Order: sequence, then C-alpha cells, then structure tokens
Amino acid sequence: MNPTATQSQTATSPVEAIQIWLVQQLSEVLSLDPATVDVTQPLTRYGLDSIDAVTLVGDLEDWLDEELPSTLLWDYPTIAKAATYLVEELEVSVDTGN
Amino acid sequence: MNPEYPALSTASLIDLDSPMTSLKQYQLAAALERDLGHPAIADNPLSFQRTAEIDEQETFPEAEVAWLYNWQLQHYYIPTQCGGKFTSFEEFVGFVRVMARRDLNITIAFTTMFWSFLTWMAGTDAQKAKLAQYMQEDHGTMCLAYSERDHGSDLVGGSVVARKVPGGYRLTGEKWPINRATRSGITYVLARTNEEGGNRGLSLFMVDKREINPNEYGNNPKIKTHGIRAADMSGIYFEDCFVPDTMLLGQEGQGLELALKGFQITRALCAAFSQGAADTCLRTTLNFALNRQLYGKTVWDMPHARRTLVNGFLDILTCDCVNLAAARGFHVAPRQFSVWSAVDKYFVPVTLENMQQDISVVLGARFYMRDEHDHGVFQKMLRDSSIISVFDGSSVVNLHALILQRRQLAKTRGRRKPKDIEAINARLKNSFDLNTDLPPFDPTQLELISRGADDVPQGLESALEALEALTPAEVDATVLGCLKQQGQQLLQALDDQDAAIAQSAFEHGHDQSFESFEQAKHYCRIHAATACLHMWLHNRRHLGEFFAQGQWLVLCLDRLLAQWLPTRPAVPETYYATVEAELLSLYKAEQMFSIVPFQLATLPAADPVPPAPAAMAIP
Repeated sequence: MNPTATQSQTATSPVEAIQIWLVQQLSEVLSLDPATVDVTQPLTRYGLDSIDAVTLVGDLEDWLDEELPSTLLWDYPTIAKAATYLVEELEVSVDTGN
Repeated sequence: MNPEYPALSTASLIDLDSPMTSLKQYQLAAALERDLGHPAIADNPLSFQRTAEIDEQETFPEAEVAWLYNWQLQHYYIPTQCGGKFTSFEEFVGFVRVMARRDLNITIAFTTMFWSFLTWMAGTDAQKAKLAQYMQEDHGTMCLAYSERDHGSDLVGGSVVARKVPGGYRLTGEKWPINRATRSGITYVLARTNEEGGNRGLSLFMVDKREINPNEYGNNPKIKTHGIRAADMSGIYFEDCFVPDTMLLGQEGQGLELALKGFQITRALCAAFSQGAADTCLRTTLNFALNRQLYGKTVWDMPHARRTLVNGFLDILTCDCVNLAAARGFHVAPRQFSVWSAVDKYFVPVTLENMQQDISVVLGARFYMRDEHDHGVFQKMLRDSSIISVFDGSSVVNLHALILQRRQLAKTRGRRKPKDIEAINARLKNSFDLNTDLPPFDPTQLELISRGADDVPQGLESALEALEALTPAEVDATVLGCLKQQGQQLLQALDDQDAAIAQSAFEHGHDQSFESFEQAKHYCRIHAATACLHMWLHNRRHLGEFFAQGQWLVLCLDRLLAQWLPTRPAVPETYYATVEAELLSLYKAEQMFSIVPFQLATLPAADPVPPAPAAMAIP
C-alpha cells in the first residue's frame, strides 16, 4: 500500500508522513478533529490508554510493513517523538510520494 | 504442502501391540496422586473430609501447604536454569489438576508461587538465586500486589507511589484485595515511580518483608469470601516504607510491561484450577448417579441424567484440548500469548463453571449441601471455582484484549502465504503432538501484541486438508464424514467473522459494544473447536482407541457448533454410547477425565482396578 494514498495532506519528509498518518489514526480512533491534535502533546492527553497505544503500534507496523517495538508509543509518547525515533533511529522508510 | 501429521501407514489404526504410551510429562502428576492418596480416605493429606473442615473453619491450611513443601513440589515452580525442576507448562498443568481436584483453597494458596515467573522473566541472577533459595529451602512464597481498592483492573490508574531516595525507594499506599498478602514473604508490588504516571510511570518491586522495617508496612484483616474461604485474602499497606534498589525488578518504568506479560503466563495456568474442580464435580455426581436408586433403576439409567453427565465429560475433553495445547504452545509460540492466553483464560474457566452448573441438576438437592455426599465437595468446588474466571484478569478483561487484536488477526489470516502456513503447521505439530519434545520456555519472547498471529485457527485449513487425506481404512467413514462437514462449518464461521470484522468500524479503548464482546466469545469457541481438531489429528495414533475413534470429537464439535448453528445435521446417537462407556470406564478405573487419562489414587480395599481399554497408563 502506498502510504500517501490514505493521506489528504502531502508530506515533505518521512518524519512528516508518519506524523500525518498518526494524527489521522488518532483522530479516527478517538473521534477527534485532526486539526486539534498537537503532535508535541503526550498521546495520553487525548485519552489513548496503554493497550490502545500498543494496538496502534500494530496498525503502524501494518502500514510501514516493519516490525516495531510494541511499547514504541509508551517510550516515545508524542507523535513528534515517535515519528522522529522511527526515522532517525530505526531508519524506517516511508514513500512520501515526492 | 502437507501438514505435519503422524505418517500414515497401512498398519492398523492403533498399534495395540505396542506398550501403552507413557508420556513422561504426566509422571510427576501421577506420583503426586499416589502420594496424596485417595481423597475419600479421611486421613489422607488433602482428603475431602479434611478440606471441608478447613473450609468450614475458614483457617489457612497450614499443615496441608507444609505437606506439599515437604513433598518438594515447590521445585517444580522454578525453571531448571534457575536451579529448580520446572521443565514444561504441560507438566505443571498436570500436577496442578491433581491438587485442584482435591481442594482449591490449598491449590490456589500454594500456586501463588507461579508469580515467581516474574522474577524468572525479569530478575537479575542475584534476584533469581535468592528467590529460588527462599522457595526451596525456606518454604517461602509470594503474592501479587497490583489491585487497589479504588482502581480494580486499571493498573495505570493505581495510586501506590514509590519515591526515589538514595539507595532505594519509599513506598506509600495500599494494595487490596490480595491473595496471601499477609502470609507471603515476598510481595510483588506495582507502584508509580513517575509522579505524572503514564505507561512508563510504573515499576515493579519484589519486596522482601524480611528486609524492610516492620513499622513501615502492615496487613489488612482477612476478607470473608463466598468460596476459597480458607484463603489468606487480605491486603498490604506501606507507610513511607524504604525498599532498597535491589528489590526493583527489571528497569524503572518497566512495571506495566512486566505486569501484562506476567499475566499471560498465569492466565493460561488458571485453567488448570478449573479442570481439577470439574473432574471432582463430575466424579462425585457419577458416584451419586450410579448408586442412587429411583423408580427401580439408577439415576445413570435415566436418559436425561446420562446425557447431562456425558455432555459434562465432553466439555472437559474440549477444555483439555484447549488448555493442554496452550500449556505446550507457551514453549512453541510465546509471541502469540497476548491472544492465546486470553482465549484460554476466558474459555476454559467459563465453560467448566457452566458445566458444573449443568450437571448439578443430576445431583439434585445434594449439590447444595455442605456436609452430605462426599463431604459436600460439589458445592464447595462450585463456590471455590467461581472466582477463577474473575481473578488474574476477568473474562471481560480477556475478551477486551481479544477485541483489540481481532482486526489484526483477521488481516494476518487473510495475508498468509505458503511459507507462513508451513511455519504454522510446524509450530502446531509441536504445540499439539504430545509426543514431541518442547523447547525450554523463554519468557523474554512474550510480546504485548501477537501481531495478528494465532496458530490454532490460522491452521484450520491445514487440519481440513489432513482430514481430506484420511481414508476409511484409518478412520471410520461416518466419523470422517461428520468431521469434514463440521470442519467446513468452522471454516465458514471463521471466514464470516473475519469478513464482518474487516467491514466494521474499529473501536479502540473501553467503549467496546456488547456485540463486540459476543463476537470475541464466538472467536474463542472457534479457536476451541479447532484446537480439538488439531489435538485429534496430531495424537490419534498414541492416545488410545477411544481417542483415535474420534466419536468424542464429533460430539465435542457438535456441542460448540450448536452455540451458533441451532439447525445442523444430527450426529449419530450411537456415539453417545461410546462416550458413556469411556466415562464409566475411567470412573471405575479411577483415571483422570482427560484425553490423557492418567491413573489416580485408588482405594486400597477396592477390587483390583480393571485396566481401561487403551487408556494411557503411567508406570
């Protein structure tokens, strides 16, 4: 699956692409307006509990087609931190469509 | 590709000329049985009379627990690499059933030792060595202090705090209700080490009471309960209590992760408590039904009573297939246990609790009496076992865990490639074939999510292929016909649920609908039915003639299918007679009601025990 196909926004970098995807998922899961999601705020602030966070990693694995630490969103508890870690430390590749 | 089943041969269905199969993993259970002796003899350590007295007095079973320590059963809770004798969860389930069929007060009290797996999983070498010594030499035990009065299953919401100070932490707060809180020397305490909380805000401590200041902690009084009335059900509170750094288990912040993984282990083992209780309930009811004369015949002679008891036996066999596979699967596919243990912990206790209620009608008013008929053991088992589906993660918690992973399970099943199916088949052979050796259990392989893997239902098509490959020379044609049809019905149910899941909106969190829970239960039934099929396919050459014939399997599957297919082809009535005969044979020979019917203790004055045809004997 082409990650960009599910995005309404165009990402300019892999970090941004992951951020957009996570914002979109979080908004769907918790019925939030994506515009209100601040990527620097802890996910728990939005009501994402421990098991939800692990489940969301499963979805992220599916999208990226890579196995990730299931506690990723516990250890990197904001969208910004998680996306940066994935790209800079785990070196996951995302097709930004550019 | 060919699923890995025992090679077909042109020889007879069962090699009856060979010595009876002897599965080494059941020898410990058989030995414990022999030494405990028949529970109907009052002077035996865990006799029905003695355990009824303990329950009435609501006093902790000191002498009985001491007997088990002196027998050195605690060694089998400690892995061999940590200096103990634990080798497999299948063996563990076997000996827990032996204890549990006598009394759950004692079994549950003694088995709080299975929490030691937290240390075997995450402890340092020094922590492991110290704990092993404490259990083996000091006859010490431990309890799990996670629950809090105001937070129930919400572990992250807990309010016990561990404040960092030089050289350790200071603990403050109360844990309640906790089984064995007062009598345990070691308490596993989940406490908040980060004021802001969060998923990494909890840490796990292995608090050793011998090394903390007795003025800084205390225990709450015993809580009176409906069942396991002799239990040390109490609580523990800490008042700015200093615990040294050496009592921290794993890393600071790792508490929630360790707690959730630890539950995967203990949840699957809880099913063994239910299996022991179910065996005794069926046995004592048979004892009544075969001896009670009504209208000129025995209760057993009445079709309704007989069918009720046979159905109870079938439920036990189904749960055997589910739980023995789970116990073995731990060694083979530990990464799947966020799903597998949830299915097991929901399905087995709930099925067997219902089974006990179902067969109580045969016992009539005696089911309710505390001192009549085998010292009122039926009502005691009923009371004692009703907590099993609640503790260590209730049915709701387990079904919720399944709901959250159900979509991934469907996706992964839909994506299986030939190499995935080959790997599933290889793992299934090891998980189900009781004759294969298990790799050592590796708790570091446990994962919080199974990444969509659940071998049992995902190997269903392979099982169906294996059925297709069987010939009437090997298995009776009618049995085979029934199984193929039932297999297709199972596949249809699984496909339908996967399709429904793919189309439905996915909910995270704790707002899951009632229907989602029903769907998760349905998934558990499909998993259970498939487990029965795998168990038969992988063992039909070495678990005796009754097992091999497969009539029991047709009936077990029919009971499960009935829950969602009210109109389905009838199964041959004569199969019930076969199962009745087996039930009576096991009862008379005093063998475990199980697919592995090992020998139970016998009454010394009894007539020589007749060998059950083709049943497994342990030398």
